[in-house]
Amino acid sequence: MEQLRTIGRELAMGSQGGFGQSKEFLDLVKSIGEARSKAEEDRIVLSEIETLKRRIIEPDIPKRKMKEFIIRLVYVEMLGHDASFGYIHAVKMTHDDNILIKRTGYLAVTLFLDENHDLIILIVNTIQKDLKSDNYLVVCAALNAVCRLINEETIPAVLPQVVELVNHPKEAVRKKAIMALHRFYQRSPSSVSHLVSNFRKKLSDNDPSVMGATLCPLYDLITVDANSYKDLVVSFVSILKQVAEHRLPKSYDYHQMPAPYIQIKLLKILALLGTGDKQASEHMYTVVNDITRKADTSSNIGNAVLYECVCCAAAIYPNPKLMETASSTISRFLKQSDSHNLRYMGIDALSRLIKLNPDIAEQHQLAVIDCLEDRDDTLKRKTFELLYRMTKSSNVEVIVDRTIDYMISINDSYYKTEIASRCVELAEQYAPSNQWFIQTMNKVFEHAGDLVNRKVVHNLMHLIAEGFGEDDDAVDSQLRLSAVSVLDHFLFT
Amino acid sequence: MIHFVILINRQGKVRLTKWYSPYSQKERTKVIRELSGLILARGPKLCSFVDWRGFRVVYRRYASLYFCICIDQDDNELEILEITHHYVEILDRYFGSVCELDLIFNFHKAYYILDEILIAGELQESSKRTVARLISAQDSLVEAAKEQENSITNIIAHATK
Repeated sequence: MEQLRTIGRELAMGSQGGFGQSKEFLDLVKSIGEARSKAEEDRIVLSEIETLKRRIIEPDIPKRKMKEFIIRLVYVEMLGHDASFGYIHAVKMTHDDNILIKRTGYLAVTLFLDENHDLIILIVNTIQKDLKSDNYLVVCAALNAVCRLINEETIPAVLPQVVELVNHPKEAVRKKAIMALHRFYQRSPSSVSHLVSNFRKKLSDNDPSVMGATLCPLYDLITVDANSYKDLVVSFVSILKQVAEHRLPKSYDYHQMPAPYIQIKLLKILALLGTGDKQASEHMYTVVNDITRKADTSSNIGNAVLYECVCCAAAIYPNPKLMETASSTISRFLKQSDSHNLRYMGIDALSRLIKLNPDIAEQHQLAVIDCLEDRDDTLKRKTFELLYRMTKSSNVEVIVDRTIDYMISINDSYYKTEIASRCVELAEQYAPSNQWFIQTMNKVFEHAGDLVNRKVVHNLMHLIAEGFGEDDDAVDSQLRLSAVSVLDHFLFT
Repeated sequence: MIHFVILINRQGKVRLTKWYSPYSQKERTKVIRELSGLILARGPKLCSFVDWRGFRVVYRRYASLYFCICIDQDDNELEILEITHHYVEILDRYFGSVCELDLIFNFHKAYYILDEILIAGELQESSKRTVARLISAQDSLVEAAKEQENSITNIIAHATK
């Protein structure tokens, strides 16, 4: 019985799989799965590569067979080996009229190549043709490829067609066309600057997915120039209100929250538009408060929306009621002692509110210290970031000393450099006394000397040379002496 | 934005990789090796986020697979965590109780589905129903093409007998 069942499964697996994989492929996957060491896996893969190299250049390979070779090449590259000899064959597959072949070709090509590859030239023509296809699925496949493979140089070749597709009858096409334009904007902002009206229009598209897609390019545009889009504040607020009131089709619900991803994008956009602008912000207070009230606090996505609400509240023109709501959200996050994720988000949200309301850190002192001493490194780092933002003259000594202790324990040089430069920055800005300043700098040099910016060392040298500006000459030269002896240790080790 | 998506299992074997920013083949191998080391070593009760090279990587474990998504530092981490879940729910619906084996033997389908959810490093579609509809439309087209091919092959085979 057991044997029959295994054979049955093997047969089923063989006939399953939309690309009718041959026994060879199944064997390949199985043997890699059963390989007991990386070396054995590498041997199997390299032998597969040799086989493919030989067979792929044979004349008159049936298309289905070529398709399978390409899939095997994708697999091999996914495991980290080079299959570049096969790229040209994948490119040729995209030219094929048979959708089965074409689609596999596009998939392979978007996985193998990136936008700067030489072979892109051979694909652009095909993409142009496919963008005009009657079959919307072919158009979609071409748009997917556009989002991955088109760079600044090739944008003009496909731009007119993509712009037309923004008004295609099929919503999937419109959505992908908008994302393609967004991608173009990221690669070359000037290429789509004249198309901004398209994004504005599609904001009111019937299909919510298309509307949601429009928020991507709009967000980027608003980041660069918020003032030109202030007129849209009312529209965004209205859309957000409707979404929060469950007016979108139920298929956009995710874990009982109505279109949370769209809500999050809208909150990010509103945060940008309301920054420093009292009038714009006033439109937003009600809807943000409502969303905060209604969000489901027991689900991750609910908390994701709540977090975004706090970020928005922290960014726009302050409002006391909103601040209060934000503060209680943060309290709730920080109190979740069994959820590291929520405490992390709480600390992050707290560091955003600090600027507006410095006292808020006092309220959550205990929770912050708990996070500081947690064994979870990610949480610790986040908390140190918070401390960095909370520093002022009254607490700089404690914070910098603590930070230096932490810095000593860090192994990752990228992160150590960042922490070291933060310590230096805080010391330079808030040092309560020159003596403390020298001692602190010495500690930093001792433990991260090779990571600190040269300029910092020069500044200190300069200070020593010029003197510290103390009134009492004796004190001044005393400081210089200690500075020199401290640096002596650093310079000659 | 999302810079890449990587699926690895507990032994560090790669099941799927999708790159939305330029990474050379060599860089990719390095990235995978570094992240596998970093993430597989983390205990179960810790944050689902790690700092890495100035980026943030959000990861989530489902049975034997780790789904890892690399984002910028100012992105909403909880949101990305849920996007991962969104992808897994769709895979689950498509394959019917998805398991690692499904992804091993049908990795191309996992790619097609991912291409409907994420595009150019952003979330493309948040409605599961729309994704399912698009994938099934593609599948039926593929089936139709296969049938057509088979019937043509048959015709030719018969004709040349």
